[in-house]
Formats: sequence, structure tokens, C-alpha cells
Amino acid sequence: METTLLEPSKWEQFQAGWELFRDPILCALIAGCVLGFLSVYVVLRRMVFVSAAVTNTAGLGVALAFFAEIHLGVHVDPLIGAVVLSVAATLLLMVEPARLRLSRESLLGCAFAFAGGAAILVGDRIAQEAHDIQGILFGTAVLVTPDQLQAVAVAGAVLMVLHLWWFRGIAFVSFDRVGATVQGLPVKMLDTVLMVSIGIMVGVCARALGALPVFAFSTLSAIAALVLDLRLPWTFFTATVLGGIAGAGGYLFAYFYDFPVGGSQTVLSGVLVLLMMLVRLVQVPFKRRA
Amino acid sequence: MAHGDHETELDRGHRAAVPVEPGEPLLKCEQLVIGYGGKDILPPMDLVVRRRQFVAVVGRNGSGKSTWFKTLLGLIPPVSGRITLAGPNIRSAYVPQMSAIDSLLPVHARELTSWGRLSGWNFLRPFPSKADRQKVEAALDTAGARGIAKRPFRDLSGGEKQRALLARVIATEADVVLLDEPTAAMDAVAEKQTMLRLCALAHDRGLGVVVVSHDMSVAAEHADVILFVDREHRCFVMGDARTVFCHPAFRRQYGDDYCHSAPQGPHRGNNPA
Repeated sequence: METTLLEPSKWEQFQAGWELFRDPILCALIAGCVLGFLSVYVVLRRMVFVSAAVTNTAGLGVALAFFAEIHLGVHVDPLIGAVVLSVAATLLLMVEPARLRLSRESLLGCAFAFAGGAAILVGDRIAQEAHDIQGILFGTAVLVTPDQLQAVAVAGAVLMVLHLWWFRGIAFVSFDRVGATVQGLPVKMLDTVLMVSIGIMVGVCARALGALPVFAFSTLSAIAALVLDLRLPWTFFTATVLGGIAGAGGYLFAYFYDFPVGGSQTVLSGVLVLLMMLVRLVQVPFKRRA
Repeated sequence: MAHGDHETELDRGHRAAVPVEPGEPLLKCEQLVIGYGGKDILPPMDLVVRRRQFVAVVGRNGSGKSTWFKTLLGLIPPVSGRITLAGPNIRSAYVPQMSAIDSLLPVHARELTSWGRLSGWNFLRPFPSKADRQKVEAALDTAGARGIAKRPFRDLSGGEKQRALLARVIATEADVVLLDEPTAAMDAVAEKQTMLRLCALAHDRGLGVVVVSHDMSVAAEHADVILFVDREHRCFVMGDARTVFCHPAFRRQYGDDYCHSAPQGPHRGNNPA
């Protein structure tokens, strides 16, 4: 009698390996949600390229950490390298560029190009970790270590609590800085909290998921939400949800259709923007009638 | 009243108002020298903004108006001298130019008004108190912005935007209000209406109002005190419309026309010139 061995379906494999996939999906979900929330500030304050420059700098931080370990014998956790450099870059980008007789764009261009180029140079000297560098830059986060998940979850939870608590102050300072200054709000402190939050979240998420999807979550989520023309609090909520969908959904899409994870998450973020544009097109005639 | 525009509490109050005398000092500039990087651009200035007083700051582009205004707002430090609020409970508020609120920002007039209730560290309270919410609603009513409260700021007309910004400044319960070109890009009717509302803020609600403006006729018609600044000749003139418009320093820049048409009025400000 002949027997046929049927290969289990993708869904069955996914169920069987859930323990393995749970952490990266959870990590992508948290990263997508928190970066989605912060993305509204990034887009409305016209700092999209701050996000690009900071994610690149996080990649350089990881490369330098590997370099220090291999060539200098100094152990530096790559996560620390990513966070320290991304926070430093964020603070540097807060400097008023007019003081240097430069525009904000030129400063961002310098930071983006230098960090990207330096990451490639450092990566060239640490051939054994080249795969990791590739992962940081383009996002190949099939697996996420418990440490990385913990870092993303703790940073995400602390920052979300802080941002929801101080929402009124940070929003006022972000969107009417002069008014907030005159009304006596601690403008510099609130601004620094926002920028450091972006730096920390981009740093920990870039280490776990890669720079490309982190850039997508921290820009495209807000763009998709803003297309819907909702009130400010709902824009934040929608961007948070869309970021989470792009993170977790992108991972599932990559798994079921055998695509790279970072690319899938990034493309799904872009597809969500297109989807929201369609929703808006359908919505407009109804709104006009109302 | 413009077509489709509502009469507000400010409009009614101002029409009924009788001429008022300025009250106690709210904001003092003492030997104030303004400039950048330690370099002065105007001589030392003494100015007192009083309750129920409308002060207009005029001058040509690059005359030092913006530097003076930014110094008053605390955005740039004075080269020397002092700016002080006359008491611990005196509060100031700022009305930005309409264009300063980013057109991408999906903020509604009511949300914008509610920002007026934020000051110091009270943002640590995550939700506005019931009293704050009531004050926001009252400010919307006073400024005639109730009907536009739920509309996005970016979709409002120039006059409606100005009403929303006025509602915000009323919600602050500030004593001194500082406005930067409040009638920029407005048509003549909206401009007139806005200036009348600002006069009502000063004369009826007892605020000190300081306005930076390019428009001499607006300053002549509404201001109790006009401050003319001229960086090129390092001078300033302060006083009522006739005092300022007929001063040689002013005529050197603008000619004699304004002097001939200037209304005669009591001098209310201090004039060191």
C-alpha cells in the first residue's frame, strides 16, 4: 500500500512554530504602534528626514559596537550603541541650523550621508558581522531576541505613558512654540523629551527590526492617518493603530509569501497610505453632503 | 458687519463703550535696549503698557519692530535693560499670525482655544478640568467663534481664523495680549472688524493690547499709543497719532501725508523722544 506524506501548510507551520514567531510579531506590533504615534509629530513638524538620519545613525551605532568588540576587545551591547548614537544624533539635529548659516535640510543631509557611509565603512572591517549590519539597515528581523523584545517593550511602554500624560503640553509646544513660550510652558524641556523619545525609540527598534521599517513606521503611519483629515487626537490614535498593523501585518505577509520582513513591513506601510487615500476619496462626497 | 458674520459680545461691548482712560501698569520696559548678539539697534526705551490701553508698534521693514516684539515675547534676550510684568499675577499671551498655524495641522477651533488654558506646568494634568472646559466655551462665545468650534482651523476664512485666535487669547485670561500683524492678508471689512474687537479687548475687558502693524491708518484709528521705530536712524517716537505722525523722524520715512490726516487725540503714553 502506498502512503503519501503531505507537507504541512504554511498556516500549520505557523501554528506549530508560534513560540518562535510570537516575539518578533509582538516586537513589530509594539514598535509600529509607538513609532506610529510619534510619527504624527515627525510629519507635522516636517522632520521626516530627521527620522531617516536618526535611523541611519542607529545603524552606525550597531556597527561601531561590533567594531569595538572585534577590534578593540571592548564589549558594547549593539543595542546601547544604537540608542546612544541615535539620541546623540537627535539632539544634534535640534541645534538651530541658522547659527551655522545652514538650512535644516543641509544639516539633515550631512547626518544622513555621513552616518550611512560610515556604517558601510565600519561594516567593511567587521566582515563576520556583515549579515547583522545588513539586517540593521534593511530589516531582516525574522527572529528577535528576548533582550531586544524587552528593550522595545519597556521603552515603548514608558514613552507611551509619558506622551499620553504630557500630550497637551507636547502638542502645544510642537505646533505653536511661540505661544507656548509666552504662556510659560517649559518649551525646551518638552521639546527635548519629544526628540529624545524619537531617538530612543528609533534606536531600540532599529536594532530589533532594522532601519528601513523603522523609518516607514515613523513617517508613513502619520501620513496615512493625516490623509483621513481627522481631529488631532484621532489622528494620533489612527497613526498608532496603522503603525501596529504595518508592523505585525508586514511580518505575517513576509512569512506567508516568503518575502524579506523589513521590506514587507515598509511596503505594507505604503499600501496603508494608498488605502487611506481611497477611503478619503470615498469619504469626501459624503462629508460634502453632510 | 460682514455677510455671514455674527455679532459677538466684543462687537456689542465696543459699540456701547465710552472713551476710557488707561488703568494701572501691566508691563514695563525700563531702559530697554534691543538688538542681536550684544549689538544694539535702537537707543534705550522706557515704555509702560497699561490696562485698557491699545499700543501699536509701526515702522518699515527691517526697522526693528520684529526684534522689539521678539524681545517682548522673551524669544531673544535684551541687550540691556529690563522687561517686567507689573505683578506676580499679571499674565501675558500671544496671538500668532494666522499663517503661523501650519496648514497641515488638523486642529479644530475648539482645540486651539483649549491651548489657551495651558500655562506653566498645568499640562501635567492630562485632561482639562471642568472649569477649564467652561472657560473655553465662554471664550468661544465671547469671540463669536461658537459656530466654527468644530471646524478645522485650516478650513476657516481669514476673519474666522482671527476669531478662533481671539477666543484662544480670551481663554488665557491674560492681562497683556501681544499680536503680530493680526490683520495681515485680510480684506478691509475683516480688518476693521478685527481691530474693533481688539479695541474692545483693551477698552471693555481691561486688557493691555500691543499690536505690531504695517498699516498706519489702522494704528491712527485705533491705537491709544503708537510706537514708531526706525533702526536706520537709530530712533523711536512714542505718543498719540498726531505726535508720532508729525514728528520729523516719522516724516523723514513716510512724508507729510499721515501728519495732515492724523486725528488729534490726547497723549496717553510716555514719550521720551
